Amino acid sequence: MSITEKILCSKTHEYILENSDNTFTIGLTDYAVEQLGDIVFLELPEVGVEFKKNETFATVESVKAASEIYMPVSGKITEVNDAVVESPETLNEDSYEAGWLVKIEKTGDESELNDLMEYEDYKEELE
Amino acid sequence: MTKETFLHDKHVQLGARMVDFAGWHMPVQYTSIIEEHKTVRENVGLFDVSHMGEVFVSGKDSLEFLNKIVPQDISKLHYEKAVYCQLTNKKGGLIDDLIIYKTGLTEYLIICNASRIDEDVNWMVRNAKDFDVKIDNRSHNYSLLAIQGPKAAELMKKMGINTEQNSFSIRPGTAAGIKLLVSRTGYTGEDGFELLVENEFSEELFDKILEEGAAFGIKPIGLGARDTLRLEAALHLYGNDLDENTTPVEAGLSWSIPKEKATDYNGKEVITSQLKNDVEKQLVGLVMQDKNIARHGYDVYFNGDKIGVITSGGISPVLNANIALAYVKNIEEICTGAIVQVMIREKLHDAKIVKRPFVQKHNIVKI
Repeated sequence: MSITEKILCSKTHEYILENSDNTFTIGLTDYAVEQLGDIVFLELPEVGVEFKKNETFATVESVKAASEIYMPVSGKITEVNDAVVESPETLNEDSYEAGWLVKIEKTGDESELNDLMEYEDYKEELE
Repeated sequence: MTKETFLHDKHVQLGARMVDFAGWHMPVQYTSIIEEHKTVRENVGLFDVSHMGEVFVSGKDSLEFLNKIVPQDISKLHYEKAVYCQLTNKKGGLIDDLIIYKTGLTEYLIICNASRIDEDVNWMVRNAKDFDVKIDNRSHNYSLLAIQGPKAAELMKKMGINTEQNSFSIRPGTAAGIKLLVSRTGYTGEDGFELLVENEFSEELFDKILEEGAAFGIKPIGLGARDTLRLEAALHLYGNDLDENTTPVEAGLSWSIPKEKATDYNGKEVITSQLKNDVEKQLVGLVMQDKNIARHGYDVYFNGDKIGVITSGGISPVLNANIALAYVKNIEEICTGAIVQVMIREKLHDAKIVKRPFVQKHNIVKI
């Protein structure tokens, strides 16, 4: 099963992936990083900080502009990908495996997943 | 309605990402802004800048007329030479920045910013009443291709253009059987040429340059890299770094203005006084001291006080640092070497004031 079959995507181009240890990984879709172009800066939150669904939790900057990244669900940050902060260009190469952004513990209820889309539907929505 | 250059479909065909810029649908990048930037610094790049304006000024009084509308002394401009100028209003504010070329005894070509063509032409017409002069806006007839980079001269020579041409000069030329006006100018800080060509030949010329340029590693370059290149060279972008409330002196362009010009020009009183007595705001170059990127509109602080604003900011692929142009208060402590702060997402980040340009301009390649 490829990774895109396991993720859910938001309209604002974040994805969420459930891990085996009950945490969830959040990142940007391949479409998002392609649209951004060369990614040159990334600011991620500290471990332990809590965010509500749709709140800004990170900033990504391409050569052209700064963009905010929103929480696809409410959660508490449990892990941050420091390697991608150090080398933001990793995101352009692979935003799913090496280029994940944060891991969280979900703090909201399941209904928060309702407006997220399967990758295939997300791609269709873009067309 | 969004306008398109004659090369629009070519850009799309080459896989460019198209964006709206100054009312034009233009390529922002073909592959990667950073890669395109490096291509121009290391080899040679081809830009479609056909959105820019071409205004021909002719007539018995053309010299006197031009001397009225810019602070520069056009009587010192010789045949087939060019000069960087500013179109100023009565208060010395910048209506546009432009290059004036002398193409005949009483004939001049003005190349101006795409976003300002209408304002410029209206202003010129309003100022032309007392002069025997013809102002002919032919922006819609011409395409403009820029060939920029250390290998630009070799490529032009291979294409049959006489490269024994100085910086800031213009000459008729022919490449691939197409008649051109060849100008040794650019907006990248590199040696380079700008070819003015009639629209109907632009696609043929564009293709030919890419074909002949392949041996030199040429790539088509989008507006994204054009912006990072001009920022490294600390060249102003109208609308960001220049506007009607900013004078050339405030913009750090005093070097381009003669201290004594015999004739009157729009804004002379203000500009002459500023040249003698200094200004309240000044343009400075900044290098960020951490990885944060300063962007247009961010505030600049010094000792806790707001002292100015970033007008252009971004990355420098050559320096591997983040750089910016800012207007700040002109006081003694705020000088080269001083540390100021830029407010980025509600936090202050240190930036050092440095001399401009950020990356040294390269001399023309003589072949």
